[in-house]
Amino acid sequence: MLPADCSRRLVAELQGALDACAQRQLQLEQSLRICRRLLQAWEPTGTWAWEPPPEPETNEEDPLPACTPSPQDLKDLEFLTQALEKAVRVRRGITKTGERNKAPSLKPGSLVTSPGMTASTPPQSPGQAGGHASDTRPTKGLRQTTVPAKGRPERRLPSVLDRTRVGIGVRAPRPGAGLRNQLMAPSAAPQAPEAFTLKEKGHLLRLPAAFRKAASQNLSLWVQLSSMQTSDSMDAAAAKTQFLQNMQTASGGSQPRLSAAEVEAEARRLRKACSLLRLRVREELSAAPVDWMQEYRCLLTLEGLQAMVGQCLQRLQELRAAVAEQPPLPCPVGRPPRASLSCGGGAEPTWSPQLLVYSSTQELQTLAALKLQVAMLDQQIHLEKVLLEEEMGVQQRSAALRRSG
Amino acid sequence: MRGRRVDPAAGARAGALPEAIAALSRSLPSGPSPEIFRRAKFDRPDATSALWQLLFRVLSPLPAGSALASIALEVQARLVKSALCSQGYPRLALAQLPEDGSQGSRELLLALSWLLARGPVPEQMVAQTRVPLGDEMTVCQCEALASLGPPAPHMETEGPVDVRHVQWLMGKLRFRWRQLVSSQQEQCALLSKIHLYTRGCHSDQSLGHLSVTEAEMLRDPEGGQQLLRTLEHENRRLEAVLAWRRAELVFWQWMDTVLGTCAPEAPAAASQPTFLPWVPECGDGELELVVRELRTLEEELREAAERRRVAWEAKARGCGRGPEWSAARRACRETVEKELGALQRCWEQDRSPAQAHGPHRLVRREDGAAGDRDLRAAELIRTLRSQEACLEAMLRQLQGQCRQELARLAGALPGLIWIPPPGR
Repeated sequence: MLPADCSRRLVAELQGALDACAQRQLQLEQSLRICRRLLQAWEPTGTWAWEPPPEPETNEEDPLPACTPSPQDLKDLEFLTQALEKAVRVRRGITKTGERNKAPSLKPGSLVTSPGMTASTPPQSPGQAGGHASDTRPTKGLRQTTVPAKGRPERRLPSVLDRTRVGIGVRAPRPGAGLRNQLMAPSAAPQAPEAFTLKEKGHLLRLPAAFRKAASQNLSLWVQLSSMQTSDSMDAAAAKTQFLQNMQTASGGSQPRLSAAEVEAEARRLRKACSLLRLRVREELSAAPVDWMQEYRCLLTLEGLQAMVGQCLQRLQELRAAVAEQPPLPCPVGRPPRASLSCGGGAEPTWSPQLLVYSSTQELQTLAALKLQVAMLDQQIHLEKVLLEEEMGVQQRSAALRRSG
Repeated sequence: MRGRRVDPAAGARAGALPEAIAALSRSLPSGPSPEIFRRAKFDRPDATSALWQLLFRVLSPLPAGSALASIALEVQARLVKSALCSQGYPRLALAQLPEDGSQGSRELLLALSWLLARGPVPEQMVAQTRVPLGDEMTVCQCEALASLGPPAPHMETEGPVDVRHVQWLMGKLRFRWRQLVSSQQEQCALLSKIHLYTRGCHSDQSLGHLSVTEAEMLRDPEGGQQLLRTLEHENRRLEAVLAWRRAELVFWQWMDTVLGTCAPEAPAAASQPTFLPWVPECGDGELELVVRELRTLEEELREAAERRRVAWEAKARGCGRGPEWSAARRACRETVEKELGALQRCWEQDRSPAQAHGPHRLVRREDGAAGDRDLRAAELIRTLRSQEACLEAMLRQLQGQCRQELARLAGALPGLIWIPPPGR
């Protein structure tokens, strides 16, 4: 399509873009590996992972150790278990008299399942009573017997479960299941992590003290540094300016030579001016004024824009003349990355600690996707410009050829 | 209070200068000892190579690594000269220095001071090797997918490049972009989960949850120890930078005396130093492009404005005169001037002040509340959307221009497309 030497530049740029993408992909994949590994089961080493929650400013309940039920709770639950076992015996005794009942055999363990225990007890619920007429009376009787038996512990049971649930702290889908496991082996070491996962127990982690100290010191130092930059000592600033001027005069030149960096900065500014002006012109030309005032404003704006375009053209011509007359000082071999159009470029201030707050996964994903989209557009624009330059180069060269030949 | 209180007697204290230089040296990566600085003032040759190496570290755009250490001194010296030149270093003596490190330490000291006076060099150096403790995201596009230096010459094809090859490369690029997008989305989802699951852990209440780096430290204690050591090292360097900033006045007073011992140079000769070929990256082609665009725009504007001016004059003749009339017109003029002034400032200033640069630590908060110095994702999303729209418009316009040029090429030079131009 294009002669070889033109499209070679395009190919080189494309190759560069592909390499940059590949490198970024590698970085992402490494980061993904780390994240995936963190979300699987792993062993937090050291004992500082299991510190109790910090002294509560926010907790109104007494902080319980994570998984250990207190002796009182154990006693209560034992009492409850006995009561319920008795209830089962009573019920079995009643229903054994020739009734075929699909009474589920209540395992002792499952007795402590949940406050929904009422629902999981023998299915002689009121709703079902109608089905078996012969059941009704014993059912009622059963309920009557069970209710007082459950009456006392029931009041206390939810509270025990609540407190233990708070101790675990996780909205685990089946709190009862967890509790059952603990109670089945109340003497088991509470710190036996079957498998630590971030999901269930991540909030219990604690950073080591040495690290916390170093990190907070680090933050405070960076904050000091960035505030010092914005309010620089006047004496030092004056001394520096004076020194720079002395350097300039000592080298015999009153006017600093235009450096390549400065030429590029000016060119970048003018490019930005061009795109902003063009956008504005589009807006004005497509606007439809409704009254004379709007029409007047539109007219004035267009004339003002015309003047600004003229100024920019003049500056460009001056810049090109200066470059042609005294070529700017060379660029270093390892150039800093090309500044994109969206960013201004220019001197970067040093890092200052700032947060970027997001509120949901979706928000974060949208943000990241948009960032990539803007970067991609930047790159596409750059490639189009390269293509355009090359095409114009071809035109110029062939025009020169025609003139000479 | 605008400036910090600087002790006026500081310069008089005997130990102030060595302290300042020592702080400077601690704040720079592998900074030379204060003794080197002292020797350089007297242009002693044994101080030369240390200063070449320091300047190389400061000026090199590449991050510190083993690759840097293995570069020979001559190469380092050449690169330093070239970099300083491109930044506009005024003194010619530097360019004439021998590259073997045999002399020139005073000139190198001046060069270092020149750099220190122009920008916050120690801070920038510490920022380059900063330990990111959080999960960070940069908002601006400064480092986004910029090519790593000029495109490496892939000289696979010497002959004419097939347009299908170009198309294939572009397809490959599109595919890689799609891959990037999906990997990024996954990473965001995982990050978000990790932040969610570890909320309530962090000792720093404003953060609230752990970052991946911090969680990794708990998973891998050896790595954690390494991280801790690096962090403490960084803290020492930060303290040194702060000490340097407090004490630097006495250094500048001293540097003035160093400059005084040098002989003044003759004005710069017309010829430019020829130690490196001039890489025409920042060349004329791009300026030509802008000139063309602006000319087209100028033409369009001239036509439209003339037309409207004529129409307006005709209409205005018909309307009444009077003080309210001229007052209203003046108000219009002022509004327009203000708007256009704001527009001009958009490109005059090198950076849009609304944009925050550099990486920021990601923090998940259900309510999205943020302090005044912090950024909110929702606002950034809005900004990025408008940038996106702007860039899309630019791209469409450029693509149109490209098509026009191509048509012009095809029309003007019908033989060009399939046959290599003569004389190659």
